[in-house]
Amino acid sequence: MSAVPDATHATRFGSGRAVRRVEDPSLVQGQGQFADDVSLPGQTWLAFLRSDRAHARIVSVDTAAAAAMPGVVKVFTGADLVAAGIKPVVLPPGFKRPDGKVASAPPKQPLAHGVVRFVGEPVVAVVAESRAAARASAAAVWVEYEELPVVASLAAALVPGAPEVWPEAPGNVLAEARYGDAHATEAAFAAAAHRVSVEIDNQRLAPSPMEPRSVLAYVENDRLTVRLSSQMPTGVRGGLAASLPGRTADNVRVLVGDVGGGFGMKTGIYAEDIVVGWAALATGRPVKWQAERLEEFTSAVHGRDAVSHAELALDAAGRVLALRVRTWANVGACPAAVALAIPLVIGPWVITSIYHVPLLSLHLTTVLTHQMAIGAYRGAGRPESVYIIERLMDAAAREMGLDPAELRRRNMVRPEQMPYTNPLAQVYDSGQFERILDRGLALADWSGFAARRAEALRRGRLRGRGIATFLEWTGGNALEEQVRVDVTADGFIELSSATMAMGQGIATSYVQLAHDVFGVPLERIRVMQGDTDRANGFGSAGSRSLFTGGGAVHVASVRTVEEAKKLAGEALEASAADIEYRAGRFSVVGTDLVIDLFELAKRQLEARIVVSGTAKAGGPSWPNGCHVCEVEIDPQTGAVEVVAYASVNDIGRVISPAIVRGQVEGGAVQGIGQALSERVSYDTGSGQLLSASFMDYALPRVDGFRDFKTEFDESVPCLTNVLGAKGVGELGTIGATPAVVNAVIDALAAEGLGRDAERVQMPLTAEAVWRALRREFPSVLPVRAA
Amino acid sequence: MPTLSFQLNGRPVSAEAPNATLLVDLLRQQLGLTGTHIGCDTAQCGCCTVVVDGQAVKSCNQLALQVAGREVTTVEGLAREGRLHPVQDAFVECHGLQCGYCTPGMVMSAVALLQHNPRPSEAEIVDALEGNLCRCTGYVNIVSAVQKAARTMAGEA
Repeated sequence: MSAVPDATHATRFGSGRAVRRVEDPSLVQGQGQFADDVSLPGQTWLAFLRSDRAHARIVSVDTAAAAAMPGVVKVFTGADLVAAGIKPVVLPPGFKRPDGKVASAPPKQPLAHGVVRFVGEPVVAVVAESRAAARASAAAVWVEYEELPVVASLAAALVPGAPEVWPEAPGNVLAEARYGDAHATEAAFAAAAHRVSVEIDNQRLAPSPMEPRSVLAYVENDRLTVRLSSQMPTGVRGGLAASLPGRTADNVRVLVGDVGGGFGMKTGIYAEDIVVGWAALATGRPVKWQAERLEEFTSAVHGRDAVSHAELALDAAGRVLALRVRTWANVGACPAAVALAIPLVIGPWVITSIYHVPLLSLHLTTVLTHQMAIGAYRGAGRPESVYIIERLMDAAAREMGLDPAELRRRNMVRPEQMPYTNPLAQVYDSGQFERILDRGLALADWSGFAARRAEALRRGRLRGRGIATFLEWTGGNALEEQVRVDVTADGFIELSSATMAMGQGIATSYVQLAHDVFGVPLERIRVMQGDTDRANGFGSAGSRSLFTGGGAVHVASVRTVEEAKKLAGEALEASAADIEYRAGRFSVVGTDLVIDLFELAKRQLEARIVVSGTAKAGGPSWPNGCHVCEVEIDPQTGAVEVVAYASVNDIGRVISPAIVRGQVEGGAVQGIGQALSERVSYDTGSGQLLSASFMDYALPRVDGFRDFKTEFDESVPCLTNVLGAKGVGELGTIGATPAVVNAVIDALAAEGLGRDAERVQMPLTAEAVWRALRREFPSVLPVRAA
Repeated sequence: MPTLSFQLNGRPVSAEAPNATLLVDLLRQQLGLTGTHIGCDTAQCGCCTVVVDGQAVKSCNQLALQVAGREVTTVEGLAREGRLHPVQDAFVECHGLQCGYCTPGMVMSAVALLQHNPRPSEAEIVDALEGNLCRCTGYVNIVSAVQKAARTMAGEA
């Protein structure tokens, strides 16, 4: 069944058409309601004093001078919060240590108590009448620390006898997972015609949405309301209720306005949210905290950070026999469950990607260090895995002297194998990977590359070509979503959802889907989000919102029309079976009796028609694509420039064409950022954060590549959801990083480095590439691979 | 407390501001114009860009008192009688924004550029937006939007 209207019903504004986004008029006029844009009368300001040590015992905290400063309302320490009964955020069970015991990490105290474990950990909070007073007071707090030994890198954490971040994680190993058949894989490698291996540092990144976190908390009638920027309002409500004494989901309300970018970073409860909520409860005043960018770099979750030794065994014909991967993931000091799920669960699900891999052996370890915790960042596990297999594919092609596209083609899962169960028991419902490959090669003029390389060489530039063919898992395994429709007497159709707009244009897509059913002008349809008093659910993450929430919009809209037909029948004194609905009006077939949808709402007891609908997808969706990148290197400086980028993407049915193009291209620029410029860097001795501003952390700027060729192939709809849509939010980021790096390696290999070129590591800055041209490569494995 | 008077979005305003008050804080907190956003503390992101006497300025990097007697335009001052400024309209039309947080700063940088250079080349647009960060769009449609706005303002479209 398909919810997308056929051509006879399609309008200029419904699904499949590019429309002006409903989000935009307010945003371009500065009328958005971002978290920091709301202030309240009598509002106070909160500022944190954060740890300037990576690991230290808190000997004493002297707040007397700080509390005596003008304008100070209250000073909170970790001891104060513990005494007040505020609970830490603890790692839930579910992961295992190598010895089989349940994994345990340091509990995350909202304010550090006893020990600090990373630079930037909140230690003291000051509430004052102004932000300046709060900051000045926080700076006047005197904390005496006793320095403790620091492990601020994977290598340091895994040295035998290294200082331990947490006594219940011996050797700093937090948890481990193994998949596949190690013995059979070993045998396949021994007998293989070709074996290749690569060492990969998937470096730590800062998600960096442009809107810093901001939290405003206040108490009304003993209800705590917390207004903040989040992708998951319901999850934040649960986190506050779990930590704050006397709080339950019933007496906590979470409000979210416009979200200035999320990318996974705004998915969980933060220590700061709890502290601000408690400060409002304890002082009885509205309390606001706005993060400085420095605080975002030190204490908003980071992404990626895993080192892998990956090997592929192939037969003489280039067919993959086995895959073996050993990964160590640095999850920081106080990780939430997602930090473990990303490398140990989600990543493995896609490590064989679109290829048929008969045997595999994965050995994955998460490691504690004195750094900020890892969390979700655009792709969360899929970029790491896809990067590994795509690097291996190129390495194998180079080893065998094969065209990398041809090697990929020989190993792709074929359409007749659908539904296909991969070695991690994940079921792909649909996909025509070779078709997408062929379209991608054509769009990129793959076969014309030699001439472009020769032309570049005449200009003194080294040109390389890289490809990534891949899929990803979307949906967050939260596949059910409910939407409530309110038809109001004043002429609006309101769609209430627990998913969150954060730039991905979900409100516009919902409006288009509702328009398909109701046929009323777009401006009559409103999307209501970000209020836990109105709608609750998983929220927006994992590229799930459209294919789950959009499905629910469709189901709820259809149900609303059906229910309203009954009401119209009563109003028009006719049988519901004789009522026809079209574009906001009900009529009795064969008569001139009509009633307007909104007039009908006005006549109801509560002056509105309210209907809810739930949609449940039958499985994750598996968007996939072929991304081809060409780069040019200046051999004098090592500077890399992306000069061409073509992609063909299978995201199933397209609801909003302009929006999905923006998702793929904007996402690709984030992926290019990882490939070429971004890295969170800690001093490995002291644990101090070195990349703590936008001057040190190199986000892509406007002078980067923009000339994308992007196409969508709609011929393979998803078979497990009502819309036929597949998630799109993370696709570009996942494809771009390996496509760009493969292109750089291709250029270096052609310059005489051969397979040595594969020893480069991201980010491929001018310096890294300049050194590679001089055969200087970083060493990345934390321990010698077995 | 020092006071200052200046033109804000075409209207005269007076405000009291301690010496250390940043222009962005005056706009957002005292005057309630929250369209000018704060994205960093180091004058890197450009979310707080406003136009002062025709020049794009990062309002986190100026003291409020520095605009005394000058003419300040924020993103709230662009639309006329409910009609979007051509730059705003082009951002909507070209899908030049996603989350919208960097957008006011981008729009103000573009407005200042087009005031001085109505027919900028692509390279000149890139140069003018170099101080504005966007994490969502990859800048693709932002540059397109500025090009479209230039054509509209020149009466070509």
